[in-house]
Amino acid sequence: MAQADPFEQEALSYLDALYRTGLRMTRSEADAEDLVQETYIRAFRFRDQFTPGTNLKAWLFRILTNTFINSYRRKATQPQTTELDDVEETTLHRHMTETSGEAPEPEQTVLDSIVDGEVKDALEELPERFRTVVLLDVEGFSYKEIAEMLEIPIGTVMSRLHRGRKFLQTRLYEHAREHGIAAAKAMPRPEGA
Amino acid sequence: MDCEECRERLYPYLDRELSPTEFHEMQEHLDECGGCERTYVVERVFVDRVRVSATSDVAPAAVRERLIVRLRHDLHR
Repeated sequence: MAQADPFEQEALSYLDALYRTGLRMTRSEADAEDLVQETYIRAFRFRDQFTPGTNLKAWLFRILTNTFINSYRRKATQPQTTELDDVEETTLHRHMTETSGEAPEPEQTVLDSIVDGEVKDALEELPERFRTVVLLDVEGFSYKEIAEMLEIPIGTVMSRLHRGRKFLQTRLYEHAREHGIAAAKAMPRPEGA
Repeated sequence: MDCEECRERLYPYLDRELSPTEFHEMQEHLDECGGCERTYVVERVFVDRVRVSATSDVAPAAVRERLIVRLRHDLHR
């Protein structure tokens, strides 16, 4: 593998993004590594099918999601969580303002009390079809790019992203209430909160 | 634009997925409506927070090394 090959160099610069996405999809370090290796092997083998000047990151993610769907989906353990249909549609703002008998928490304080691990855990609790869309969104892909990768309509991307985010908000707010708010309460509130 | 429409377009607005006309309609409504503006700020902070956490992981060095070895092996045999 020639180090100076621009295609290979650029492709390998997306390893971190592909690996962490694979990790959240498969929920297994070993499977994520296999998935990423498979993705790169296919990409390098079929590099003639890539149109130079187009988005290489999107092309690689398309291979990753296709490989996952074809080879790993059945194997990936499904989260023990209710379907999103059961999750009440609420906003973080409404959670704050409905805290009975207490002054609402400033949203920023709640968000500050959330640690990275809780976000990752909440992501892994999302049912797969919502999780995949959220993972592609955080990696910076547009609705259109996600729709093309997953071969679903843009409207479906939008609704899955919307519901996925609401699910995450609910989970993260619950975590913050359980663990972070006691510490957060001791902190001074921002002006006007 | 009314508040209901504004809430419906909040994520596409945050995600820079609106047309220029829709984008300006949203900006005008948010400038005028304190309630929607507050919701918008919360959603923006939340979406940013998730993005930062979700993209903080990097591939372990050993994973990168094994990938290079496998690619070299697979593609040049």
